[in-house]
Amino acid sequence: MTHEIFMPALSSTMTEGKIVEWLKNPGDKVERGESVLVVESDKADMDVESFQDGYLAAVLMPAGSTAPVGETIGLIVENQDEIASIQEQNKDKKTEVSSDGQLELPNKKPEITEEKQKEVPKINEQEVEIKREKVLATSNEIQFNASTINNSSRLIASPRAKKLASTMGVDLAKVHGSGPHGRIQADDVLKANGQPVSIPWIGEGSSPATIGSFSVQAERKSKTLGNSFGKPGETVQFNTLQKAVNKNMESSLNVPCFRVGYSINTDKLDSFYKKVKQNGVTMTALLVKAVAKTLKKHPQVNSSFSENGISYPENINIAVAVAMEDGGLITPVLKEPCNTDLFELSREWKDLVKRSRAKQLEPDEYSTGTFTLSNLGMFGVDRFDAILPPGTGAILAIASSKPTVVANNDGSISVKKIMQVNLTADHRVIYGADGASFLKDLSSLIENEPETLVA
Amino acid sequence: MINRTSIINQPDKISFFDDVYKLQKKYQDSLISGRSNMNFIWLGEHQLCYTIGRGSNMSNLLFSADEQDVFKIDRGGEVTCHMPGQLVTYLVLDLSNFKKDLNWYLRRLEKIIIKTLRSFNIDCSTKDGFTGVWIGERKIASIGIGCKRWVTIHGFSINVNCKLENFNKIVPCGIEGCQMVNMSDYSKNIDIKEVKKIVKNIIHEEFKFNFV
Repeated sequence: MTHEIFMPALSSTMTEGKIVEWLKNPGDKVERGESVLVVESDKADMDVESFQDGYLAAVLMPAGSTAPVGETIGLIVENQDEIASIQEQNKDKKTEVSSDGQLELPNKKPEITEEKQKEVPKINEQEVEIKREKVLATSNEIQFNASTINNSSRLIASPRAKKLASTMGVDLAKVHGSGPHGRIQADDVLKANGQPVSIPWIGEGSSPATIGSFSVQAERKSKTLGNSFGKPGETVQFNTLQKAVNKNMESSLNVPCFRVGYSINTDKLDSFYKKVKQNGVTMTALLVKAVAKTLKKHPQVNSSFSENGISYPENINIAVAVAMEDGGLITPVLKEPCNTDLFELSREWKDLVKRSRAKQLEPDEYSTGTFTLSNLGMFGVDRFDAILPPGTGAILAIASSKPTVVANNDGSISVKKIMQVNLTADHRVIYGADGASFLKDLSSLIENEPETLVA
Repeated sequence: MINRTSIINQPDKISFFDDVYKLQKKYQDSLISGRSNMNFIWLGEHQLCYTIGRGSNMSNLLFSADEQDVFKIDRGGEVTCHMPGQLVTYLVLDLSNFKKDLNWYLRRLEKIIIKTLRSFNIDCSTKDGFTGVWIGERKIASIGIGCKRWVTIHGFSINVNCKLENFNKIVPCGIEGCQMVNMSDYSKNIDIKEVKKIVKNIIHEEFKFNFV
């Protein structure tokens, strides 16, 4: 099993860090807690430790290079015999990275096209069509930037952008770089490929802050993809995941549920999100953190029904619903968010989403939730109500945050961003007052001190 | 549980760099391993020596390393120089008890230095992108820290009344043409013991410490 070493965030304002020195060489044994490399930002050095016993298999960014926060800079494997294959896979990457982390495109170009051609036959016809539509849609958006394509024909792209471009078959020469000096970032490549900027399109909630752009993305998606698994007149069998969801949803019919809602002002949350977004923080991580912190104060809302009585889990694990493109949904779990900082939590979430789409989640990673979040904010939904997953006591439905005319206590009127949330709970274990006071505290945390969500 | 208890050590005699480095390491290791929850602060002066960070450019050292004591240490930044007449402050702090943010920490150290100098009526400032404290284009205090599992090591040095010629053997902080300056150039008859006392009080104020 491979574990990634990321460029850590040494501060909330840091966007990239310099690798000063690798204290271990590829092939070296590393112990959990042992320093593997040193990262510098300003006049501060930070030892980056391994979270894993194993072996340093690959150094993806050499000493002296600079990498954005969250970038994978090295790989650790658990067994010695995995080293060779990882080194083989990453051989090219290492040599490509020049000392300043930039890339010369012309040499690389033929390879990209080759990969693209190889990829196409594997994909079924329907998808190819979609892809073509995407290309059409994006061709209008392509902007040429003088600073990106200059006389020296040297293109600057972040390593992640480069990697994405080659896996998605995006031609970097046609991507508009939004980074410093026209540097192409991962997000630019995703945009150019016609995908929403964040990975999932349900569950990755970006409800507040970016609602404008997200509703556009969601619309475009529905035009190109449409959400139908069969043709008119057909009856299509449920896939395994859909069957599992059906079973879970039916079991909720035996649970006496009630709902309670709250309107939350997200003005402060939005501006905090704007600040931390550049460090890779996702809205989902923010919401999960807020919910987990509030659950800590309200253990009753984290409890569930069992034959023997009210069962209080040892941990707070937040499951977040993610729709799968081929039907069904899955609920990856962020374990103990209170013990993880916001940046790490965001990385964990991105990793979970990536692996859930690739159907690589371990059962432990989608079945251990003690409380569930469902976010449809990115579609502009103003309110909805969720069905309680079995084995848990409550689920929170999060809608979009919208500018709303609000009457204040002093009689004045103002416009504030308001997000409606709706809690569905099992009345055998959670009562109206429990749910209501949970929502009151959640709302107060989000409205008044979103910056405390960092730690 | 927030722990803001700190051991403070402020010898009057001039100390060897190596001894104090070992002491800092000891406190850092025990904070990391959880053997102790004591933060550690050291205020004092060193014998003449040069230190360089792990990422330092050796060409900023304008002499051969065997002529003088040169220590390669686990901090950020380029080469610097310590000597009697320069007040060195080391802080081994568990930032988990404060804020896990190195930028915040560096800015906090700058604030401590500025407050100290202002109490001697010396007007000074920070410079964007050049960590440290400056009087115009001249540098009066340098900062360099290391950090492991959010436990810091090293800190800052303020030139009080030291022999600035020693800086001529290096490119201080890797900045070509960087001129150093003493507090005594602005405040006559300054006593390093006075400065030490004030730095201690301001650290106490800024980090809300209980000293033991």
